Amino acid sequence: MSNANIIDKHRQAFLEEAREVLVELESSLLELNERPNDGELVGRVFRSMHTIKGSGAMFGFDEVAAFTHHLETAYDEIREGRLIVTSKLIDLSLEAVDLIKRMLDEPPGESGANGAVASGIVARLEELTGIADTKHPEAPPSSTLADHPEKEGAIQEWLIRFAPGPALMRNGTNPLLLLRDIKQLGDARITASMAGVPALSELDPERCYVSWEIFLTAAESRETIRDVFIFVEDCCELTIEPAAKQSSSLPELTAKPFEEQRNNPGRREHDKPDGASSIRVPAAKLDQFVNLVGELVTVQARLVEISAGRDDPDIMAVSEEIERLTTALRENSMSIRMLPIRATFERFRRLVHDLARDLHKNVELTVEGADTELDKTVIDQLNDPLMHLIRNSMDHGIESPETRVAAGKPPMATIHLSARHSGANVLIGVTDDGRGIDADAVRARAVQNGLASADANLTETEIFSFILMPGFSTAKQVTDVSGRGVGMDVVHQRVEALRGRIDIASKFGSGTSVTLRLPLTMAIIDGLLVRVGQAFFVLPLANTLECVELTRQDIEKANGKHVANIRGELVPYIRLRDFFDIETERPELEQIMITETEEGRYGFVVDEVLGDHQTVIKSLGRFYRQVQFVSGATILGNGTVALILDPHRLVQEVIRGSVRSSRGHPESNAAKNRGKDGLLSKSP
Amino acid sequence: MPATVEERENTSLVRLEGAIDIASAAEMKSVFLNALASNKEIRLTLEGATELDITALQLLYAAERDAAKAGILFALEGSVPDEISAAVTNAGLAKFEFQQ
Repeated sequence: MSNANIIDKHRQAFLEEAREVLVELESSLLELNERPNDGELVGRVFRSMHTIKGSGAMFGFDEVAAFTHHLETAYDEIREGRLIVTSKLIDLSLEAVDLIKRMLDEPPGESGANGAVASGIVARLEELTGIADTKHPEAPPSSTLADHPEKEGAIQEWLIRFAPGPALMRNGTNPLLLLRDIKQLGDARITASMAGVPALSELDPERCYVSWEIFLTAAESRETIRDVFIFVEDCCELTIEPAAKQSSSLPELTAKPFEEQRNNPGRREHDKPDGASSIRVPAAKLDQFVNLVGELVTVQARLVEISAGRDDPDIMAVSEEIERLTTALRENSMSIRMLPIRATFERFRRLVHDLARDLHKNVELTVEGADTELDKTVIDQLNDPLMHLIRNSMDHGIESPETRVAAGKPPMATIHLSARHSGANVLIGVTDDGRGIDADAVRARAVQNGLASADANLTETEIFSFILMPGFSTAKQVTDVSGRGVGMDVVHQRVEALRGRIDIASKFGSGTSVTLRLPLTMAIIDGLLVRVGQAFFVLPLANTLECVELTRQDIEKANGKHVANIRGELVPYIRLRDFFDIETERPELEQIMITETEEGRYGFVVDEVLGDHQTVIKSLGRFYRQVQFVSGATILGNGTVALILDPHRLVQEVIRGSVRSSRGHPESNAAKNRGKDGLLSKSP
Repeated sequence: MPATVEERENTSLVRLEGAIDIASAAEMKSVFLNALASNKEIRLTLEGATELDITALQLLYAAERDAAKAGILFALEGSVPDEISAAVTNAGLAKFEFQQ
């Protein structure tokens, strides 16, 4: 790898980290706005700025470093108690954070239009704080040197640990020459450790067993020092750390004999700060990994089927072992992709803060369940829908402080973001205590738009579902924030694309709650494979409670109603044979899979339950996107396709059956079959 | 030969000459193993040596340590050329135990 490539790679890593630090900084600033006297928060803000400044300078983002230095100075003054936090300062700091984000998007050294903006912000900052900051980050105060001595040009002390690997000498490298090169960078105190040298009889004469600790005092950056080792970094262990940091923040590392670390098998450190226990992996690689595991799961399912069909204990044993490993691998790979939703939630603090200011409303954002984990692919696509929902709440839901007081509400409104797990789903809620949705107005608009007849008997849920239709808006005026009637439609589409759904609950005058129900993962589910005639289906295991037999007598006892008596509880059921119009003879004994859905417990009647099935969800493609009660499909061992059912949507489909069939939806046989009475009313 | 041994009555005199590096490390190892096996005191002379690389330095360290464990005297005879002393220092090694 060339030197330029290495620098590019590290610059990229810096950019990624800096963006994360900026998100944290933004959220700390917003918190500070609410709790201006919180010393810990001030410290957090200061540290974030300090990190961006220090590492920005190291990677050639000098404008970012210089600009951030001014902010850092202001917050240092606050830390020292010489300045107080005001909302003006917070607003200016947030503006500065936005600018830093834009500066990071530019190639280093090209300040472009941002330079002028930066000068403007610095001038306003000086005016606001009264600090005319003449200090330049090129020569930061000595107290900060120890924390971030990463700026080239300043004298710094580095601790370098260098342990050649077995192959280093054979490559023709002479480690003593590397030490000589290090000495040329500055004042180097080199200490060799001979503890790794074995007894003479066991010593491989062509291998270097010696390792070194070097205290280097030099005006050089980490990059420059690492460049000395550039050709050997693949065959050695190398750490380069600020000497002060080593002794202060990593006491356990320095206390531990170097050899002990060095002999730790499989460990190779290239200058990882703080002996990092996590690594950065490009998301694309992770996606590829998960896809491959998905394919493996499919192949493994085929192996199980094949081995079950042969009476060979050897194949059976291997198959079971592979099944066990595949399950572990699958769970592991999925867990790698799971991320807490916190970062997504935190981003909205800023949105709420800015919108509240622009709309002259007092709004507090509260967050619950931010540690709830979701598949990365789901999280990535959640940003826009949540943004639309919050904008809607801010614009249409939350009233002005005067209106709120007049309505007997506190002037400060609340938007509550929540996340929690529910079976194989996660529920993301956006709740506000605003004016709520006027169901009558929505209904009137729906009638006006021809979406419903004037005399239709609609439930509140049905009325609210009109809001999700394209172009539907009851807003009297279009504002900058929302009201064009595109928002909820977009939210709906995005959530549908994630195989999720939206529930809206609202009480006129009191507030609105929008809940997004999303699958935890997009890739693989644990399911139960069932058969109806010659057709195979998979039902998600997470929703399945139990499996009971359904005999002819049971059906007769229920007077032909599709209801089963499960230990005294009457559970309605759906016969998949009827729903999918499968024209084979019904067996004497059927099975009911009792499933927990949001509409309560429902049973699904099938001919046979074949057993557990780890299922890779394959999309059915655009053509079948409207068929919502099917989540996807999977390929079985014998090449047959099995549909993966979404129990909840299936139940809803059945409940809505009469409405849909009366509207003449042509897409499913089921609708045609169900007729006006629906499946649940009478046995065919 | 960069590494030779001269057997005396109670002493093995190991002589390292010229540049001792990875190419002669195997030979040097065998010289010291033989010297240790003979159970006589070992005297080392570096007077003719011009260069010692890290493989040579670690071999000397291992030989000296094994000798100490076995109760065999391991001592340096004659003067050490400046370039060899510099090599030892530059490698971050304190002087060897046997250095007088």
